Amino acid sequence: TRLAEGTPRRSIQLSSIVEQRVFNDDDIINTPKRSKARKSIALPVVDNVKTTEDDEEYTPKKTTQKTPSKGRRSTTKATEAPATPKTPSQKLKMIRSGEIKPTLEKRDSLAGSEKGKTDLQIARERLHVSVVPKSLPCREKEFDNIYTFLEGKIQDQCGGCMYVSGVPGTGKTATVTGVIRMLQQRVAEDDLPPFDFLEINGMRLTEPRQAYVHIYRQLTGKTVSWEHAHALLEKRFTTPAPRRVTTVLLVDELDILCNRRQDVVYNLLDWPTKSAARLVVVTIANTMDLPERLLMGKVTSRLGLTRLTFQPYTHKQLQEIVTGRLQGSEAFKGDAVQLVARKVAAVSGDARRALDICRRATEIADAAASKAAEKGSKDTQQCVNMLHVQQALNEMISSAKVQAIKNCSRLEQIFLQAVVAEVTRTGVEETSFMGVYTQIETIAAFMGAATPTPGRALRICAKLGSERLLICEHSRNDVFQKILLNVSMDDIHYALKVNNTN
Amino acid sequence: MYTTELLENRYPCRTDFIRSLYCMVSKSEENFPSAIYISGHTGTGKTAIVKDFLNIHAECENNRTVLVNCVECYTTKILYEHILEELVLGGTRCDNFKEFVEILRQAKNVEQSGFVVALDNADRLRDMDNNILPSLLRLQEFTGLNICVLLISQIPLEKYYCKTGVSEVISLYTPQYTKVETLKILSGNFENTVHMLKCRINDNCDAKVQRNQLVIVEQITQEFYNNYLNIFLSVFYKACRDVPELKITASKCFFTYMEPVLNGNVELSDVARLWRNIAVPLRSSLSQVYMRFDKVESEMLSNHNLEGNPADNSLRKLARAFELPFYGKYLLIAAFLASHNSANQDKRLFVKHHGKQRKRLQSVNAKAKVAEKMSSSLGPKSFSLDRLLAIFYAILDEKVGLTCNLLSQISTLVHLKLLGFVSGENNVMDGSARLQCTVGLEF
Repeated sequence: TRLAEGTPRRSIQLSSIVEQRVFNDDDIINTPKRSKARKSIALPVVDNVKTTEDDEEYTPKKTTQKTPSKGRRSTTKATEAPATPKTPSQKLKMIRSGEIKPTLEKRDSLAGSEKGKTDLQIARERLHVSVVPKSLPCREKEFDNIYTFLEGKIQDQCGGCMYVSGVPGTGKTATVTGVIRMLQQRVAEDDLPPFDFLEINGMRLTEPRQAYVHIYRQLTGKTVSWEHAHALLEKRFTTPAPRRVTTVLLVDELDILCNRRQDVVYNLLDWPTKSAARLVVVTIANTMDLPERLLMGKVTSRLGLTRLTFQPYTHKQLQEIVTGRLQGSEAFKGDAVQLVARKVAAVSGDARRALDICRRATEIADAAASKAAEKGSKDTQQCVNMLHVQQALNEMISSAKVQAIKNCSRLEQIFLQAVVAEVTRTGVEETSFMGVYTQIETIAAFMGAATPTPGRALRICAKLGSERLLICEHSRNDVFQKILLNVSMDDIHYALKVNNTN
Repeated sequence: MYTTELLENRYPCRTDFIRSLYCMVSKSEENFPSAIYISGHTGTGKTAIVKDFLNIHAECENNRTVLVNCVECYTTKILYEHILEELVLGGTRCDNFKEFVEILRQAKNVEQSGFVVALDNADRLRDMDNNILPSLLRLQEFTGLNICVLLISQIPLEKYYCKTGVSEVISLYTPQYTKVETLKILSGNFENTVHMLKCRINDNCDAKVQRNQLVIVEQITQEFYNNYLNIFLSVFYKACRDVPELKITASKCFFTYMEPVLNGNVELSDVARLWRNIAVPLRSSLSQVYMRFDKVESEMLSNHNLEGNPADNSLRKLARAFELPFYGKYLLIAAFLASHNSANQDKRLFVKHHGKQRKRLQSVNAKAKVAEKMSSSLGPKSFSLDRLLAIFYAILDEKVGLTCNLLSQISTLVHLKLLGFVSGENNVMDGSARLQCTVGLEF
């Protein structure tokens, strides 16, 4: 069956779902995230009810409970005693107290083994973004930096702060978690005093104050309201206690935690200053000048000056990263990797992007190889060459706007031309529908096409607006609506000129 | 075809519309279009036809239908629950669109196979949540039911396109009735009118006269009534094509039309004299169209000879009925002067002259009339509270103290909507508030 054996069997009516939903809403008024999670899964549940009405195991409740910080969604519970059927509210209680852990559904078939795979498939697996290597290439210096900081803090048994910044995809989180793993390994070898590691991610919180709830849950496993969690954490970090171990707190996406009052950020950075806390906070964000730009003076001063900036990867580093992942594999040609590295480094220096493009290139190569095999040609060598990479780059980098304009209908193209003509005539970027319509009349007469009625032109305008080729208002203020061009005028000229010559 | 015939009899001159509606939404075995948009002017029978259509539809086949007026639904929840109540038949709770779709999906197993949702005044949908209109238009796709959404509104479909685009809609248009069609529709009202006339005679006459009159009424033919309607429409059709409105006015005027016949002054066949009799009351009631005050109108019809312009008259009556205190009146006059005279004329008008007050008022009024020709089309100008008080003291001969009563009268005038604030409602006391006089010269 889909669900664990412990879940009570019952047939469901719609009314019961509604009831429970109401009950839940009352129950967790402070945690909107949870209610959201419930709603997002309510649909498949109801669907099940409809298709197999008779006797369905029903677990809308528990799916809602624990919103795991790792983003997993709980659907069943395994640790429950099978003999005692429980009401959903009892389950809710257990989940809140952390007695039941969220688990995922198990797959029926086993995952494929390593043996039957081709070279390209193995390369594709290795190139996946989620496969983080043990030691990150090209980040040794940053690794050392963070390592010495954290090791020092843990050994000195004091608290402190560190701010790590850098554009997305430069390995910030991977390096920090790598350092933590290394430190935990040393704790296991008794080289280092033990420490607790907690992590929160600003993006996974519905509200900055939920940070307290998540931190407290990682400490104790219990889910409480944020006020309660805040009070308990405050008590824990301010009152001295013997045999307290150091706590390392990783705060990812710090800028999301900044609200107008900045009380959450302030508390998170104020606790390390308490002598009793023994808390080390490592914060990660994208912008380098975030403390000065967004945070209040008292928060910035507590954040301290221990900062570290992750520079975007150069093409050499990207090349190293990709080749490091492909060690021992013959799937990629050397110049193909170099092309990817150079293209990506020129745009953003994002390692994720480079890996994604490489993966896409392997897929294209796979398709090409299978096609060649179908034709029966002997050249079924599975290898990614320059052409495949070029195709992948075109797919992932090039803009689709020119293609979109080319594939517009005739009247839509006339409309776009009219907007361009009106912009050139008035010299102002923002045009009104009326002016554009007179231009349409002119252009349509010039091209010998029938002039569309204003209503039809409005429909065209709305369609182009919904495709984001134009930016326009609601059509309720019909001829007075403002229209902005969302593509460059050169794009339109290029697209239509090329079209005309064909 | 039973449905269409029934509807066509009930609603003459709408054959095309009814047929096309029936073609698209008829048999529940066939797939309905996902959305139909019905537009047309007021009084062209959109809602009435759809309502009857839905009723017949719900009776003769295993369909569920619902007609919702969107004005009633000030939140989306009301809209959803209203629709569900009729379609699923049960007190259901529904908070958002997702639940709405879910509940409808569950109705799939029920043997009811066709669903029709009609939304009257659909232009209100644009002001509700952004997702409503696009998702209602694709309700068939979302629910997987054989469901059709009819949107009824007065504005064309072009006013509905939102920024994210809406899906394709079939639009139906109900054109206004032509003169011939209007005549046909109004003549369908013949028996009803004659019956009402009989009732009226029974009510207020003594027995002998009654019998005579009833004999005359018996002689009224459809042709005679059509003749009357022809006369009626020749006056009214230019101003008003709203059929319900015309229907009401026509039956009212018919009593006046019949009066000389019933009194025996004019023969039934003497159309020319009847026309001469009715022409004036018709024209006077023309100005009363769309104003549904029964009593005033009947009064107006009876003594139309005495007063020339009834519309003007009614306003004057209203103004006369409006009792204001003495200073209140002067304040209002001052406000009117302040609104309609330009501020640079103030010195000449109010300061230089030291003659009698009456004279001054007249001259000011005369000036106002002259100025009105130029500025009346521009509307009243705004003025400050200080200027209002200055003019008030200038036109008022006696010197009264500036008491709080006087100031409270100003605020009372604002409350009565005789004056209006243009700007600065929050800082009345520091003098930056601008007022405007909202009554006309006749008042």
